[in-house]
Amino acid sequence: MSETKSISSKPPGAARGLGLHGLLTLLSLGMIAPFVWMVLTSLKSLPEVGDAAWLPKHFLWGNYPEVFSVIPFLRFMANSVVIAGWVTLLQVFTSALAAFSFSRLQWPGRDRVFFLYLGTMMLPGLVMVIPNFQLMVRFGLVDSYLGLVLPAAFGAFGTFLLRQFMLGIPRSLDEAAEIDGAGKWRIFWDVVLPLSRPGLVTLAIFTFMGNFQSFFWPLVMMKTVDKFPLPVGLLFFDFEHGQATHLLMAAVTMSVVPLIVIFAVLQKQLIRGIQVGGVKG
Amino acid sequence: MKHRERTIRRWFTGMGFLLPSLLGFCAFTLVPLALSFAMAFTDWDIMRHNQFRHEPLHFTGLENFIRLFGDPQFWRDLGNTLFLMLGLPFAMAGSLAAALLLTRVSHRRSALRPALVIATLVLVASGLVLLWGGMAELGVWCLFGTLTASVLLAGVLTGGTLYRTLFYLPSFTSGVATYVLWKKLYNPHSGPINFGLTPLLDRLAAAVRTSPGVFTYGLPVLCAGLAVGLVAWDVRRLRSRWSGSEAGLAAVVVGAVTLAVPLGLLLHWQGFSLLVTGSVVAVGAGVCIVTTVRRPRPWGRVRSAGEGAGIEIALALLLLPVLLMLAAGIQVGPALPALAANGLEPPDWLGSYGWAKPALMMMALWAAIGSNNMILYLAGLGSISPELYEAADMDGASPSQRFWHITWPQLAPVTFFIAVMGIINGMQGGFEVARSMTAGGPAGATTTLSYYIFSEGFETGRLGYASAIAWVLFALVFIFSLLNFRFGNRDAND
Repeated sequence: MSETKSISSKPPGAARGLGLHGLLTLLSLGMIAPFVWMVLTSLKSLPEVGDAAWLPKHFLWGNYPEVFSVIPFLRFMANSVVIAGWVTLLQVFTSALAAFSFSRLQWPGRDRVFFLYLGTMMLPGLVMVIPNFQLMVRFGLVDSYLGLVLPAAFGAFGTFLLRQFMLGIPRSLDEAAEIDGAGKWRIFWDVVLPLSRPGLVTLAIFTFMGNFQSFFWPLVMMKTVDKFPLPVGLLFFDFEHGQATHLLMAAVTMSVVPLIVIFAVLQKQLIRGIQVGGVKG
Repeated sequence: MKHRERTIRRWFTGMGFLLPSLLGFCAFTLVPLALSFAMAFTDWDIMRHNQFRHEPLHFTGLENFIRLFGDPQFWRDLGNTLFLMLGLPFAMAGSLAAALLLTRVSHRRSALRPALVIATLVLVASGLVLLWGGMAELGVWCLFGTLTASVLLAGVLTGGTLYRTLFYLPSFTSGVATYVLWKKLYNPHSGPINFGLTPLLDRLAAAVRTSPGVFTYGLPVLCAGLAVGLVAWDVRRLRSRWSGSEAGLAAVVVGAVTLAVPLGLLLHWQGFSLLVTGSVVAVGAGVCIVTTVRRPRPWGRVRSAGEGAGIEIALALLLLPVLLMLAAGIQVGPALPALAANGLEPPDWLGSYGWAKPALMMMALWAAIGSNNMILYLAGLGSISPELYEAADMDGASPSQRFWHITWPQLAPVTFFIAVMGIINGMQGGFEVARSMTAGGPAGATTTLSYYIFSEGFETGRLGYASAIAWVLFALVFIFSLLNFRFGNRDAND
């Protein structure tokens, strides 16, 4: 309350407040205008797509089912969810273990290994992409889900984030558990992990969203259309049937709406995550 | 002996927890990293070295890198990458402005009543029109009326949270889906952007035809005036603050380089005359150096050389595109009447060499204003101590003084962090957008370095050369990472 007051010293006049709300409303509308056009166009018929009018003459809800007959949209969506889900699961689990080791255990060489992790965080992913692909060719993992999941599932960033988080949990708690006879695993599983929940949630959300949208790696890895994750599938749709703007927009709408729902539900955790240190991208 | 045993046991416990992560880290980060480095010095070409053909692989030393520096496509793509990054200052200014607006609105309830009344009226009116007129001509206005009213209503009721949500949506949904959407928006024949622009341009063409003098001389004069004004504003700041260089020489150099190098390259590539290029760079560098030297201030003073450098980078980045646009205005003005003679056509956007990059930048701006940067600015604004503002109020500071003397310097660590991260991401970026919207075209106008690596590594299959480009890119990024590490504020980093 006080900080709001202090940033603008003038008394909050009704006219100024209204102007502010009006301005923000207009800006918000500008932000969502592309989405409005997207939804309206997805309900048009093909000849109407080239019209200047935004509104379709009749709402053709049938465009949506038609998308499924043109491309395996649900398959794409399922691929994306499964791939991102596995990456998230592995990423959170291995990162939590590693972070526990880096933040709670004393062992020789620990800090050197951690600096190695830190150092690679600065590396552009592009440096690793080419040899990684050659490795995948050698292992015969090209065009497989495993080849998509594995390289994305281990990252220095997650370890770093969770380590920062675990450093903030008071050590006296695990000392107390140790006196009660708990082993390291018990301390990790019953003490540190439950207390790191906000950090885990943040990492999970960012990992899932990042991999749900990831494009470069699936694009080079996947050859079979049925195995495409959504972003690659959408691009494929655009290349193959790009003229069918109404269907394309229906597909885009169906890709964007789940994101909007996820965002609406998880908004608080997301914003806290960004502020706490999930500063990525 | 007992001690040693315990140490070994501790090592095994620690390693045990680390192992799953370490295995993956080695397999997918360290090994590829070493491989990539080695590959950069070979002539590995997928056409000659693959499962079916085993020609011997040669270590070629620095040949890839030497070839790279003579490769016009590398320089073009580096230029494209830098050009696209010029959108960053606009995005940062937009994020900051949005954050400032949002901070002002939160918790203020006195605006409730009139806003509610107006929103309800609009809702009722559009409802009535919808009932009487059906979905015909007025339908879209009703739709927008209803939307506006709902946003306003919800915005007032939630105390600004709704606006923040809507601002954040483009960035959150950003991906291939929104790129495909924007490709349709930019369509020159059926996209809404050109449908909206055509009547505006018709009106502008008519205005140019009736009074060409205003545009031939007026526009350049106005732009030149604004540029001079910008410089004068900084000279005034200098005169009121001159006293030793607290921000340090590093800041001067960093700021000047940030401003001058890209600007010079850019103007050169866009085919501006050497005179214009030289003078704009000179003015820019002058402004930059002038802004750098400042003396301690009573409130919100610069605390360290690092912070000074951060402010300078941000300011230089902000001034750069503004000066550039003014330079463009000076050049465009005299040419306008000839262009308008046959009526002005809206641009071909993604299909035209000159407009493809600005089109991508505008889309990026849409996604970037409400992004994480805005959230970081919001957090930064929230953590400024109110006492600073109270002190300023007692000194009778004007709103602009409050901003430039308190808000801006206090936000400097956040600004610095956003700028550096933006540069780091920008250097590596551009592939997804270009791949899904323009395929790098037209004529390579939107091919960035990351796209070049992709096409060398996965299309032509020159793996050695692609790795060399990747490592040069890494070197460029590394400079900025170091900058962040050296000057960045730990609070903003960790």
